[in-house]
Amino acid sequence: MRKIGIALLLGCCLLTAEAQTQKDSVPPVPKIKVGDLAPDFTLVDGNGQPHSLHDYKGKKNVVLAFYVFAFTPN
Amino acid sequence: MKNFQQNLSKLEAFDTQVLGVSMDSPFANKAFAAQTGVTFPLLSDIGGKVSTEYGLYKEYDKFNTKIPGARRATYLIDTDGKVVEMQVDSEAIDPTKTVTMCALRKPKA
Repeated sequence: MRKIGIALLLGCCLLTAEAQTQKDSVPPVPKIKVGDLAPDFTLVDGNGQPHSLHDYKGKKNVVLAFYVFAFTPN
Repeated sequence: MKNFQQNLSKLEAFDTQVLGVSMDSPFANKAFAAQTGVTFPLLSDIGGKVSTEYGLYKEYDKFNTKIPGARRATYLIDTDGKVVEMQVDSEAIDPTKTVTMCALRKPKA
């Protein structure tokens, strides 16, 4: 009986930990992986200038850095 | 983004263009660039179309409100448009590995 109690308690702790890691919505699974063609896009910068991925094709590598929000560290 | 700025000259030396992407407005990105000294383009993916295409669209609980924002991720895309390296979440903060990968990819002169 005692063992069952301990097992239940442990189970509850794990569930709580799980719930805490999912405070933000469940993380999306990145669709694009190594070896895939990167989907093209055209987006504007802070000065309203458009930038497209295809602008760099055959010319430069591109580091595409998705960040969460402006004014957050890193 | 500051980390990428600090490594920008190295990345540019390896023929690499850095582009930041978030769901912020161009106005917010301009202010963010001014505040942090970021000189590479910060692109606005308002509505999250591109973030969704890459599978990075996410909602964050902030101030009891769900706010959409991209999951943090870095992609290195080669000149053929193919993804050669990717890092997500905390891995994507430090660009050292990306710099190393770019160095390896630079064609020998």
